[in-house]
Amino acid sequence: MDRRDFLQKLSASAATIGALSVLSADGQQARPVDVETERQTAMTQEKTPMRLGIIGPGSRGKELVRSFLRVPGVRIAAAADVYPVRFAQLDQVCGYDVARHADYRALLDRKDLDAVIVSTPLGLHAEHVLASLSAGRHVYGEKAEAYTVDQCKQIVAAVAEHKRIFQIGHQYRYSPWIRAAIARVQRGEIGDVTLIQGYWHRNNDWRRPVPDPSLERLINWRLYNQWSRGLFAELGSHHIDLANWVFDAAPEAALGSGSIVRYHDGRETDDNAQAILTYPGGRHFAFTSTTDNAKMGDQIWFYGSKGSLNLTLEDATFFYEPKKIERPAPNGKGTVTSASYNPRNEMPYRGAGTAVTVTPEDPTTAATRAFIYCVRHNVTPIADVHVGYRSALGVIQACESRKTHTQVTIPA
Amino acid sequence: MVYYELKVVSNVAMKLILCLLALLFVHKASAQERFRETHAAMGTIFTLDVYANDESAATQLAEDAFDVIDRVDDELSNYKPASELSRISRDAGSAAVTTDPETFAFLKRSVYWSRESHGAFDITVGPLLRAWGFFFHSGRVPTQTELLALRKDLGWQNIVLDDASRIVRFRNGKPMDLDPGSIGKGFAVDLAVERLRADGATAALLSAGGSTVYAIGAPPGEDGWPVLVPDPFHPGEVASRVLLKDTSLSTGACTEKFFIRDGHRYCHIFDPQRMRPVEGMLQTTVIDPSATDSDALSTVAFVLSPDQSRGFFSRLPKTRLVLFAQSSSGPRCLAVHWLDSPCGGTLPASRKQETTHGVNH
Repeated sequence: MDRRDFLQKLSASAATIGALSVLSADGQQARPVDVETERQTAMTQEKTPMRLGIIGPGSRGKELVRSFLRVPGVRIAAAADVYPVRFAQLDQVCGYDVARHADYRALLDRKDLDAVIVSTPLGLHAEHVLASLSAGRHVYGEKAEAYTVDQCKQIVAAVAEHKRIFQIGHQYRYSPWIRAAIARVQRGEIGDVTLIQGYWHRNNDWRRPVPDPSLERLINWRLYNQWSRGLFAELGSHHIDLANWVFDAAPEAALGSGSIVRYHDGRETDDNAQAILTYPGGRHFAFTSTTDNAKMGDQIWFYGSKGSLNLTLEDATFFYEPKKIERPAPNGKGTVTSASYNPRNEMPYRGAGTAVTVTPEDPTTAATRAFIYCVRHNVTPIADVHVGYRSALGVIQACESRKTHTQVTIPA
Repeated sequence: MVYYELKVVSNVAMKLILCLLALLFVHKASAQERFRETHAAMGTIFTLDVYANDESAATQLAEDAFDVIDRVDDELSNYKPASELSRISRDAGSAAVTTDPETFAFLKRSVYWSRESHGAFDITVGPLLRAWGFFFHSGRVPTQTELLALRKDLGWQNIVLDDASRIVRFRNGKPMDLDPGSIGKGFAVDLAVERLRADGATAALLSAGGSTVYAIGAPPGEDGWPVLVPDPFHPGEVASRVLLKDTSLSTGACTEKFFIRDGHRYCHIFDPQRMRPVEGMLQTTVIDPSATDSDALSTVAFVLSPDQSRGFFSRLPKTRLVLFAQSSSGPRCLAVHWLDSPCGGTLPASRKQETTHGVNH
């Protein structure tokens, strides 16, 4: 069953959604969270005008804008940035002139915005998100949620206090193939998952061209501790969120390590980083990221007692453990003799695996459409402020452990 | 008098300063080294040759350019079901699809060239490529019944674009299979060139697998980037050597993508009207300031007959064309607005007059 069929069933069964009568993408009974995600990400013809402001239309901000403009009725009405070059670039993405503000507070003073996108450096997330919520704006906030645990708690409290919608930029929660695969994992398809291994390996220096040396820290903010928590935040947070999702828990402890081993160019954040997060019951997520070899790329493996799941930015593939003891029915034909050695016993994961088949869509396109749905209908996003809080905990405490060279316990 | 002398001195000083500045500029430009980096995307290998002060600067320029190309690939690939173009192909038959300005601009230009070429260029040919086995390179000859059944799935006229709201709909009410193969690489090259210029590149050559190239400026001390147009009538020989500067060049040919069945060679470029691979055309090369346009127009020239191309390209004063065809009446070379005589050495003397026809120097 593809997504379109699923949505047709969803529509036909709208009256009974509460009773969980809807099938999921793989033909199983859907859980409420799956139904709600389908509802939020469904194609829409609603055209109610939605005017958005953006604080920080840098490289990621412009990509978010491109996706938001795929939602009917959305217009980017205003932008704020301290780097004026960004405004013309944003105009080009939008195809029209967007009102410009050098100070984000002027943007928040406007009365014509329905929601604000915050895609500034991590060290500024809390300031910009809290100010936006205080100004009564709904917020789509890039990950990680904030730089410190205390700031994350303030954001959680502000969302509740101001009764505003906050969606964190963990767009993989909206990826059709990842959702379908994780639903199957949570139904036990690969048994109990006790280990998750995430790789995000690249082969580049993570730098952006700087037209003037005075702009180095502004443009390459990811390389400096004042604004960034490095690879754990910018790449690892997505994997931490997936681990939290599959384990259905937040991490209890973090052990981090890292170094600048390749690029001795004045940067402060590591170019080679590893973290191990411990979850209830002794389960683990191990994350590794390097910047001078891309062989492993971006992929995450979920290891269970009955099989494994591999997720990438393009697909999801299941592999199954060799079956253990069975109760075969007599076939009356006898046993066929053959050579005794079966190499698959030694390398059970050789082969293509079984791909998850769903109608895919760009995760950011789906996530931005879901956010607009939530604003229009005043419902809580799937990737809400608590999802952001739990993944930020892993990021922040892995960094803390890397700094102190000790395992850090994460308070519940 | 004093004023005059001062003015003379001032003029001399100014000239000296200008000379020094010019020398410095030349020194700086000539101090730049040439770097090359390649990148796999859009089913081919992109190559960037760029002059930069050092390896680090060249690497950053290349990464920026290839980031743009990867982004466009993710946006427009019909091999990637999660791409924006795939979403439109899937959904615009059943509902109005709002898309982003960049994808909309791509569709708009595609439909523009379809209209201008009366369908010789058509991005709805995806089902034909699948039926003939060019999708993933398997290669097969479909039956006439199969082809006739596809007719309703084809036709650029089915693409309805609403400028005001950036909405895409398919008039036939069905999913379509939009194939960016004849324009997408050029579109990506244009956007990457824009990024390279914004990053400060002043001398670079970006090539999409050799079929579409764009030259930014020229190598230090040169008038342009040399590009060789092969002579398909004489393998190994060159029909034309052009110097590209701040413009693009695209070539359509069947030397890379084709299959052979029963001794017949089937080309991957389709005549959308006949629903069959083009026969008889060997190679078309188009120079145009826009890589998007040169990419599309090299296909237009490939599909049209040489006589039709002569009329079509004569109406495009900024566009240059050279084509080589082999028909039952013999080899044929046609140049329109081309700068040298590409057909000169390749044809019998009786046909040479055609080589300069329409040239507008």
